[in-house]
Amino acid sequence: MTDKVINKKDWAGVLKGIRNFYRVFVPAREGDFHNFRALEDETMPNFDFFNTRLSPKSVVYPQSERMFECLNDPENPEKGILKEAAKDYTPQAVIGIRPCDAQAFQIVKRNFDNPEYRDPWWVKRFESTVLVGLGCNSPCPTCFCTSVGGGPFQEECLDAILYDLGDRYLVKGLTEKGKEFSSKLQGGAPADEKAGKEAKALVSAASEKIKAKVPIDKLGGKAVTALFNAPFWDEVAFSCINCGTCTFLCPTCWCFDIQDEVCGKQVDRIRNWDTCMSPLFTLEGSGHNPRDKKFQRVRQRFMHKLKYYPDKFKNGIQCSGCGRCVRYCPVNIDIRTVAGLMNEYKEK
Amino acid sequence: MNEWQPKITTFLCNWCSYGAADLAGVSRFQYPPYFRIIRVPCSARISPKFILAALRHGADGVWISGCHPGDCHYLEGNYYARRKFAMLKGLLEHIGIEPGRLNFSWISSAEATKFAETAKIVADEIKALGPAKHFIKKRAEVA
Amino acid sequence: MMAEYTEKIRETAKRLLKDGKVDIFIGYRKGSVPMMNEPVSVSDPEKTGLLHWDSNCGLNLCNYLTKRTDRIGILANGCISRNIVTHIIENQIKREQLYIVGVPCTGMIDPKMIRRAVKFKEIHAVEEKDGRFIVKGDGFEETFEKNEFLQKNCATCLHRNPVIYDELIGEKVPEQEGIEPFRDVKKIEAMESDDKWGFFTRMISSCIRCYACRNACPLCYCATCFVDEAQPQWLGKSSDPTDTMTFHILRAFHCAGRCTDCGACERACPMGINLRQFTKKLNKDALELFSWEAGLKEDQRPPMDVYKTDDNNDFIR
Repeated sequence: MTDKVINKKDWAGVLKGIRNFYRVFVPAREGDFHNFRALEDETMPNFDFFNTRLSPKSVVYPQSERMFECLNDPENPEKGILKEAAKDYTPQAVIGIRPCDAQAFQIVKRNFDNPEYRDPWWVKRFESTVLVGLGCNSPCPTCFCTSVGGGPFQEECLDAILYDLGDRYLVKGLTEKGKEFSSKLQGGAPADEKAGKEAKALVSAASEKIKAKVPIDKLGGKAVTALFNAPFWDEVAFSCINCGTCTFLCPTCWCFDIQDEVCGKQVDRIRNWDTCMSPLFTLEGSGHNPRDKKFQRVRQRFMHKLKYYPDKFKNGIQCSGCGRCVRYCPVNIDIRTVAGLMNEYKEK
Repeated sequence: MNEWQPKITTFLCNWCSYGAADLAGVSRFQYPPYFRIIRVPCSARISPKFILAALRHGADGVWISGCHPGDCHYLEGNYYARRKFAMLKGLLEHIGIEPGRLNFSWISSAEATKFAETAKIVADEIKALGPAKHFIKKRAEVA
Repeated sequence: MMAEYTEKIRETAKRLLKDGKVDIFIGYRKGSVPMMNEPVSVSDPEKTGLLHWDSNCGLNLCNYLTKRTDRIGILANGCISRNIVTHIIENQIKREQLYIVGVPCTGMIDPKMIRRAVKFKEIHAVEEKDGRFIVKGDGFEETFEKNEFLQKNCATCLHRNPVIYDELIGEKVPEQEGIEPFRDVKKIEAMESDDKWGFFTRMISSCIRCYACRNACPLCYCATCFVDEAQPQWLGKSSDPTDTMTFHILRAFHCAGRCTDCGACERACPMGINLRQFTKKLNKDALELFSWEAGLKEDQRPPMDVYKTDDNNDFIR
C-alpha cells in the first residue's frame, strides 16, 4: 500500500529527497504566474496556484529541441554526417500537474505514438516521465474539463495523484510507475481513512464548481464540409491577430517546424513549436499558400481541434478544457463559444 | 601572439570613406589591422540588421563611416543615415551594449589621415572595452 | 463616463450603417472573461447592440484597418486615432475610407495590476461604475479606484482625446498634466551597461516567441516580417536567448518614430513582459532629438523619413 499522507511542512524536504530518483519538475512562481521548473537547489516550489501559465507539455516536448547535429568542418572526416543529438532520458517526475494537462498528454499520444507514426523523442521522453497530479480543489470559471471527458480529480491519465487536504497531501499511486514513485517518497505516514474521506469530499465539491458546459455532442454527426463552409467563420476570425498564444499555451497543440542552424562549424537540425495561426504555416515551396487568409487559419484551428481530430481518432476532441486559450487570447476568442456555434450549426 | 585582437566590422561608403581607406593604404599610413571592411554604396545602405548581424557574429565593435553631410554622392543618403544611427545607437546602448562598441564617422575620400587616425581611436576604445560579452549568437541554447 | 459611451456608440454605428455611410463598423464587444473585450466588426445595423465600450478596450483597433478597401466606421480614442494618422501617412488606409467616431478616453485598466491587488484569487466578474471597479470572486468583493489601476501607458498618456475624428461621442476630457512619461527610461539610462544588459535579458527571458506583441501592434503590417526573411536569415526561430533579444531589438527599431505607446503589445503578451521598455527609449529619443511625437498630424512625415541639415551630429567623429 503505497498511499501516503505527507504534512505540508515536510513537503520541501520530501521533494528534495525524491530528486535522488527523478529529475523533478514542480510549479514555481515566475513574476505574476507559475510555470513548471526543474527543481534545483535554489528553486522555490510553489503549489499555491490554479494552473501554470504555460502547460507542462514542454517537459516532454520542449519548445526548441535539437534533433540532429553534424559538423561542417572540411578537415573532419565526419563532415556532413547527420547524427542524432544526444539526449538525457533520465526518469523525470512532474509533480503538481493538473488532470487536464495530464489528459492532454494522452490526447497528443494518439498522434505521436501509434502504429502508423511514432515520434521517437516525444515517446522516449514521455515514457521516462511520471505524472504526479494535483487535483483541483478550486476549478476556475474558465475550466471545462468535465465537458471533454475529464474532471478536476480525474485519475485516468495520471500515474499518481495528490489531494491537497489543507495542511497535508494525500498521495495515491495509480499506475505501476506512480506506485513506484510513491514508494520512493521518503517520509510521511500511511494514508488513513480520515484522509480518504476528506479527499472524497474535495472531489464532489470541485465537480460542482465547474459551471462551464461546452456542447460538443453533435459535432461528430455533422458533415465536415458543412462545418467547413459555415458562414460564421468570418465573424469568429475577425478579431484574431494570428499570434501563437493559443497554440503555444495549449497542452494539446503539437505542430512543429524544423530548421537547420549553422554556427561556425556546427550544424544543428532544430525543431521549434510552430503555430497554424502564422500566415507562413502553410506557405509552400512553390509560393502557393492554401491558407493565406486569416479566416482560413482560424477555421483550421477550431476544425482541427473539434472535428478532424475526433473524426480521426474517435476518442474525444483535441482539447482538455484547461482554459488557457480562453484566458490569454489577446482578443478573447473563446473556444467555448466557437464550439457552441459549431455544435448548433445547421446547414441550410 | 597570444594577446587578444579585436574584430571590428567596418562599413565604409564606396564614394568617400572607402576611398579614404584606399588612399591611406596607398600612402602607407599605419593603422591597426583589426578592421574587417565591407564596402557599401552609401552609409544609408546600412540597415540595423547589418549591425546586429555583426554583433551576433562576434564582432567586438562596429564602425560605420560615410561622406560628410552635404557631400553625399547620392545627395541625401547620409542625412537619413545620421538619424537612423542616432536612434539605433541610443537603443543598443540602452539595452546594454557598451558605448564605444558602436562608432560612426564622416570621412571624405581625401582624408586618408583622418581615416588612419580614426581607426586608431576606434581600435583603442574597443581594446579598452575588451572582447564582446553580449549578444553573440552561439550554438542555439535549446533542449 | 466610459461606461456611458456604449449607448451612444451603438446609436452612432446604427445610424452610420443604416445611412449607408460605411460598409462596416469596427468597435469592441464585451468579452467572455473578466476585463477583456473582443474587437468586432458589425455590418448589419440591427446587430449594433453588440458594441460595447468600457475601460477594458486595450487592443488597438487600427490593427484591423490595414489594406482594407471598404468604407469603415471605426471607434478611436487618443492612441487609436494617432495610429490611424500613422496608417494614413504610411498608405495603409485612405482617409476618405474612414468615418472616425472619436472617443475621449480616460484610460484603460491593467488587468495584471488588479489580479495582483486581489492576490491572484480567481476573479469572476468586474463591474465598472463611476470611476471605480468592483471586483468579485470566490468569496470576495473588492473595490478599486480606476486611477490607481491604469495601464502603464494610460497613466502617462498626454493625448487622451482623439487627434482625428469625424464626430465625437462625448465631450473632450482634460489632458493629464504634470506627467513624467519617461521616468522609467531615465532610470535605466542611469544604469551601468552590464546592469542594463542584465535588466533586459531577465525581462525577455520568459518570451515564447508567440509574436502576439508584433501582431497586436498596428505598426507591424509587413507582408514578410524580418523574422521570416531567409537568405539571409537575420535570427533563429528557436527560443534561444540571443535570437529572442534580436527579435525584440529589431522589432522595436522598426517602430522607431512611429510608436504611439498604445500599450497593445504589453496587453497582448501572454507572459506579461514589459515590452514598452524598448519602444519608450526610442520615443524619448525621437522627442528629444527630433521634437517628434507620432501620429499627431496627417501632413507631417515621420522622423526616419525626413532629415534636417543640422540634425544632432555629436556622436559622429
